[in-house]
Amino acid sequence: MSVLRLIGRGTLLHVKQLSRSQFEIATALFVPLVQATLAVYLFRAGSEPHRLLEAAVGAGMMAVWSSVLFGSGGAIQNQRWQGTLEMLMLAPRPPALLVFPITLATAVTGTYAMIATLLWGGLVYRIPLDVADPLAFAVSVPAAILGLGMFGLLLASTFVLLPNANAINNTLEYPIWLVSGMLVPITVLPGWTGPIGAVLPTTWAARAVRESVTGSGPVWPSLGVCLALSFVCLVAGALVMSYVERRARANATLALA
Amino acid sequence: MRLLTVGGVIAYRALFNWTTPSMFVGTLLVGPLFQLLFFAFLGRQLGVASDSFYIVGNAVLAASVACVFGGTMAVSNERRYGTLGHVLLSPRPRTLVFLGRAVPYAGNGLLIAAFTLTVGSLVLGLRVPLGAIPGLAVTLAVGSLSCAFFGLTLGALGLRFRDVWLVSNVSISLLLLLTGVNVPADHLPAWMRVVGGGLPITHSAEAARRLVAGDGFGAAMPALGKEFAVGVAYAVVAAALLKVFEAESRRRASLDTL
Amino acid sequence: MALAIEARDLRRTYRTRTGWLNPRRVEIDAVRGVDLDVRRGELFGLLGPNGAGKTTTIKMLNTLLIPSSGSARVCGFDVVSQTREVRRRIGYVFGGDRGLYDRLSALDNLRYFAELYGVPAARQKRRIGELLELVGLTGRERERVEGYSRGMRQRLHIARGLLHEPEVLFLDEPSIGVDPVAARELRNTVAGLAATGTTVLLTTHYMAEAEELCDRIAVIAGGEIQALGTADELKHHAEGRRVLEVQAFGVSDSQLAGIDVLPGVRESSVDIVGTAQVLTVQSDATVDVQADVLRLLDGVRLGRVTARQPTLEDAYVAIVGRSPVEVAA
Repeated sequence: MSVLRLIGRGTLLHVKQLSRSQFEIATALFVPLVQATLAVYLFRAGSEPHRLLEAAVGAGMMAVWSSVLFGSGGAIQNQRWQGTLEMLMLAPRPPALLVFPITLATAVTGTYAMIATLLWGGLVYRIPLDVADPLAFAVSVPAAILGLGMFGLLLASTFVLLPNANAINNTLEYPIWLVSGMLVPITVLPGWTGPIGAVLPTTWAARAVRESVTGSGPVWPSLGVCLALSFVCLVAGALVMSYVERRARANATLALA
Repeated sequence: MRLLTVGGVIAYRALFNWTTPSMFVGTLLVGPLFQLLFFAFLGRQLGVASDSFYIVGNAVLAASVACVFGGTMAVSNERRYGTLGHVLLSPRPRTLVFLGRAVPYAGNGLLIAAFTLTVGSLVLGLRVPLGAIPGLAVTLAVGSLSCAFFGLTLGALGLRFRDVWLVSNVSISLLLLLTGVNVPADHLPAWMRVVGGGLPITHSAEAARRLVAGDGFGAAMPALGKEFAVGVAYAVVAAALLKVFEAESRRRASLDTL
Repeated sequence: MALAIEARDLRRTYRTRTGWLNPRRVEIDAVRGVDLDVRRGELFGLLGPNGAGKTTTIKMLNTLLIPSSGSARVCGFDVVSQTREVRRRIGYVFGGDRGLYDRLSALDNLRYFAELYGVPAARQKRRIGELLELVGLTGRERERVEGYSRGMRQRLHIARGLLHEPEVLFLDEPSIGVDPVAARELRNTVAGLAATGTTVLLTTHYMAEAEELCDRIAVIAGGEIQALGTADELKHHAEGRRVLEVQAFGVSDSQLAGIDVLPGVRESSVDIVGTAQVLTVQSDATVDVQADVLRLLDGVRLGRVTARQPTLEDAYVAIVGRSPVEVAA
C-alpha cells in the first residue's frame, strides 16, 4: 500500500516537474502534431483514407514512445544533472522504486501529445472521435501508458550502463515505431522482424489501443500480453537498477563531479 | 576564400570535441537510415509511392539533421564558449567567417546523405543508374549546403531568441512534412506546397528523383537551380540577421551574456 | 552503544580516465586511512581545505560511496552491507543550490521526500509544517524553488534532511555561498539540532563555524586526519608560536617568498580584506621576526602592524601547513 502511495506521489511530482519545462512541452506537443499531420496525408494519399482516426491515435502512440525513450533513457542522467540523484538514492528504498515513478511520468506526459493529436485531428481534419469500443479505449490507453512506463525502467537502468546511451537513444525512435506497428501494422516487413515486434510491449500496447479504436480484434488479450511483457521488463529493470546503484556507489558516478 | 575554409574547419573540429564517434554513427548515420526504412515500409504498406520515391527523398533529407543542427550550433556554440565576441570583433570580413561556419556542416551532410542513399538502395534493392551518380553528388551537395545555410539562419535567430533548439527541433520535423519527401507534393494542400518551396531539400529531392529515374542532368537542372537559389537566399538572410543582431547586442551589451 | 559513527582506516581511491583517443588511467587517493569515532549527540566538525577529502569521507559514511578499503558503521550498521538500515537513520545536507526539483514548490519537494524517506502518511503534514517553521520558510512554501535565494534553498535542503528525524545528520559545507546573516541563522539551527540530541557531522572550511559549533574538530588534509580535539586542544598546535599581522597594500610574490625563508618563520599567508592585504606570519615564539619582515616590505605602503597570540585559525594553518601531502595535491 505504501509502495503504491510512493509510486503515485512520485509519478505526480515528476509529471509536474516535466510539465513545467516550456521547452519539453513545446517540443513534445508540436513535433507529434507535425507527425500526425504527416500521417493524415499519408493515409489520405494511400489506400486507407477512411482510417484517419487510426492515424491520429497512432501518431499519439508514437509520441508516447518518443517521450518514454528520451525521458526514461536519460532519466538517471537528468537526475544526476539536477543533483537530485544522490538525494533519491539516499532514500531507504530499493532503487527501482525511486526511478520507476520517473519513467512512468515520462509515459504519462506522452499522453499530452496523444490528446493533442486527437484534438488536432478533430479540429483541423474533422476526424470524429468515433471509437469502436469506448470502454476498452478508456482502459487500454492508461494501461498502455503504464506498460510503457514499466518498459521505461528497463531502458533507464540499462541505458545508464551504456557508454553512449544518447547515441543509441537517437536511433531507437524509428525502428520501434516500425517494428511495433505504432502507426499501422506493417505486414510488408521482412519476416525476421516479427519475433522482435512480438516481444516488445510497445507492439502490444499499440495493438490494444488500435483494436479498441477500430474494433478489429479483442482488446483484452493484447492488453494482457502488453502488461505481462511490461511486467517482465519492470522486474528485469529493477534487478538491473540494483546492480546500477551498487556500481555507481563503487565508481562514484552518482554525483556530477 | 581560404579564411572561409579554415574558419570552418576549426569550428568543425570544435564540434567533434564533444561529439563522440559513436554519437556521430548513431545519431547522424543510423538515425536517418532507420527514418528512411520507416517511411519506405510505411509507404509500401499504405501504397502511397514507390520505394525509389522514399529512398531518394529521405536520403536527401538525411543531411538535414546534421546541417540544421550544425548551422544552429555554429552560432550558439560560439556564444556558449564565449568565442562569438572574438569572431565578430576580428578584423577579418565577418560575414565570410560566419558563412564559412556552415561549409563543414554541409560537407558532413553530404557524406551522410551519400551514405544513406547507398545503404538504403542496397537494403531495399534500388538500382541507381551509374550515369546519374555525378549529378546526384552535385544535387546532394547543393541540398546539404542550402540546408546548412537554413540552419545558420536559425542559429542567427538564436542570437535573439533563447530557445533556438526548440526552433531547430520543430524545423526539422517540419522538413519531414513540407518538403514532399514523404508525402508526394500533389497530396499536400497548396499552402504547404508553397511553404515547402521556400525550404531547403524540397527542390533537391525533386532533382534527385529525376536523376534516379534516368531523366538526365538536363531534366534535373531547373529543380537544382531552385534549390541553389533557396540556399543563397538563406545565406543572405543569415548574414543580414547577424548584422542586425550584432549591432543590437553591441548596443545592449548582450553578446555573451544573454 | 555510545558511538553514532565509527570509521576504521577508511580509504577511497578514484579512478578516472582522461582522453578517449589515448586513454590514460589516473588514480587519485582522495582519502587515505581515516579513523573516526563520533559519540551520540555530539556535534563533530571535519575541517579542512578544499580537496582535503571531507566530502569523500562524508559520502562513504552516508552510503553514497563504497570505500576502497576500511570499514565504517553508522548507528551500529555497516555502511556497505546494511545501507537501508543506515539510510533510515541519517540525513544528508550539502551546500550549494542544486539537488532540488526547481520547477516545483518547497512543499512539493518536501512531500515527495517525506514519502521517499518513509515518513508515515499521518505524520507528514505536521512534520513538514514544523520544519518549514524551523527553517523559516513558512509562508513561502508554495512558491517554486527556482525563485528562491541561495540561502532559502539551503534552508530547504536542511528541512529535507530532517524530514525523517534522522539520528545522524551529515552537513557538507552547509554555509557555502550563503550570506553572513543567513549563515548565522544556519549555525543557530544546527546548534539547536544538536541540543535536541541529533548527532551532527559537519564539514566546513570556515574556522569560526567549526569553533562556534563543534564539540570536537578533526582537521583533515591530504586525505588524512592531521589533528583531532576540541577547539581549545587544537590551539595547542600553534603553541610555541607567535603571530605577526601586517596590513599592507601591494606586496609582491617575491617579497612573500622572501618572508617564507626568514629564519624563525614557520608559516606565512595573505588574505585580501577590502582593498588591503593582510599578511599573517607565524614564527617561533622565541624569535622576533617583526624587524626582518618590515625590512623586506620596504617600499610597500603599510597599515596596522600587530603581534598577537595564536588563534584556532593559526593552529589550523599550522596543522594543514605541516601535512606533507598537501603540497603534492
